[in-house]
Amino acid sequence: MSKANKGAVRPKLEQEGFFGRLSYFSSRAVANLRQNVFVSAVTVGTIALALLIASLFLLVYVNLDGMAQGWSDKVQVTAYFDQEPAPLAVAALKGRVQAIPGTAKVIFVSQAEAEKRLRSRLKGQESLLEGITQEVLPASLEIRLDREHRDNESVAAYVRKLKQIQGISEVQYGEEWVQRFNSFMNLFRLMGGLLGAFLTITVLFIVSNTIKLTIYARKDELELLGLVGATRFFIKAPFLIEGVLQGAAGAVISLLALLACYYTFLKNAGDFLGINPASAGLSFLPATHLAGIVAGGVLLGFIGSATSLKRFINV
Amino acid sequence: MIQMHNVFMSYQPESSALADINLKIPKGDFVFLTGQSGAGKSTLLKLVYADLTPTRGQVLIDGVNLTRLSRSQIPLLRRSIGVVFQDYKLLPNRTVLENVAITLEVLGWGKRDIGKKVFHILKRMGLEDKVNATPLRLSGGEQQRVALARALVNDPKILVADEPTGNLDDENKEAILSIFKEANNRGTTVVVATHDRRVIENSHRTVIRLDKGRIVEVPDVQG
Repeated sequence: MSKANKGAVRPKLEQEGFFGRLSYFSSRAVANLRQNVFVSAVTVGTIALALLIASLFLLVYVNLDGMAQGWSDKVQVTAYFDQEPAPLAVAALKGRVQAIPGTAKVIFVSQAEAEKRLRSRLKGQESLLEGITQEVLPASLEIRLDREHRDNESVAAYVRKLKQIQGISEVQYGEEWVQRFNSFMNLFRLMGGLLGAFLTITVLFIVSNTIKLTIYARKDELELLGLVGATRFFIKAPFLIEGVLQGAAGAVISLLALLACYYTFLKNAGDFLGINPASAGLSFLPATHLAGIVAGGVLLGFIGSATSLKRFINV
Repeated sequence: MIQMHNVFMSYQPESSALADINLKIPKGDFVFLTGQSGAGKSTLLKLVYADLTPTRGQVLIDGVNLTRLSRSQIPLLRRSIGVVFQDYKLLPNRTVLENVAITLEVLGWGKRDIGKKVFHILKRMGLEDKVNATPLRLSGGEQQRVALARALVNDPKILVADEPTGNLDDENKEAILSIFKEANNRGTTVVVATHDRRVIENSHRTVIRLDKGRIVEVPDVQG
């Protein structure tokens, strides 16, 4: 028959092009969030709670790590000289030590300075110092290492290089303490990493299942869109934007809750518990970590939606 | 034109929903598909809008072999076919306007034009005062008309309807059928699956009768 319908003529291409489509998908995503308030609130709440637990863990971990790093400042190498070097040679020696990779700071302690320190330490017990002269105490270099060179192997390698410098007779660095401290740090990081990994898996599992359930609740919508001729991208885009918005909202809420927890309990944890976990109290997460949590929320929402959609789109 | 050549369809290996179907529905025709429940009417319609792929045989729409379509080509086919589902498939949390607009949104129409076009078709369906209502607030007949509006709003080449009058009273049945006739007069090929004998008898249209997945009566089968 000649009267066959050729389909409606599309009058305007308002949604053509990247920005047109993005604007349509975004407005659709916002409308979907409004039309599914309860389901959206459950998703945002789950993401917020999961991220709050993860960020609380991160806050504690970062503070403990900071404390431990503070302790590692005690890793100090002392190089003793046979004879006190001439004042002109001191600068050259310091320069040679400074040139060894891993050196953070070098202080020259002359025999006079060593005696002065000893006397001040033994104040009130001057009788013990009778007969002790400057010559008995050797001049030395007190060396602080940078953070990357405080593990057992690096310190040992550093000491070997130090011993090659002429005039240095003995090197001390509290070998046992360094070993114990590094064993503790390795255990701490391993435990932190394991706990963090378990927590991340749990968060991923809970959030992806919640998103899966919310998308399952709207499977009729997905099916219908496919049946009226929507492409996979057309169906998925608003859901993915919804996921990103929910993830971002969840992350912001979790950070606000973390801030509230911090100012209510953690900042004054020392007074609250009767002990102060860090000399300066717990510090809040740095900006990079906060940005990481928001990015994590966005990623959670996006990946959670993307993987769940795969199961329900038949087109 | 809708053509089926030696089409077989099985959901399970031991039973077949359709067997050796051969038919040709010319462009602009109005056809009733009838038969008992389980005869294969819904399955046959699903093959037309590529919701199912036949186990064997060929389905052609305007010469395009649907069994050879890639996954990305199926949406393009579906945009030219309006479907009225047995269970309406209206989205309960969207308004009548939004439910009908979906078809045009998929095509990339602008908001203003969608509004005009949807209002126009809802007026044709006598639903202009229900634009902002949600489907749950509508009667069965009204819901069916919304589903019809959604299927017809983009003036499709083909309209398929699965038991569109199943749960309606006589007055609503009449209204729905007149909408089908109107769409057919505008050039749309209409295929309606129904087991309502009265609807078929009063229509004086081509009837394809299915029984246990086979065509048992078709006046003009041209394989």
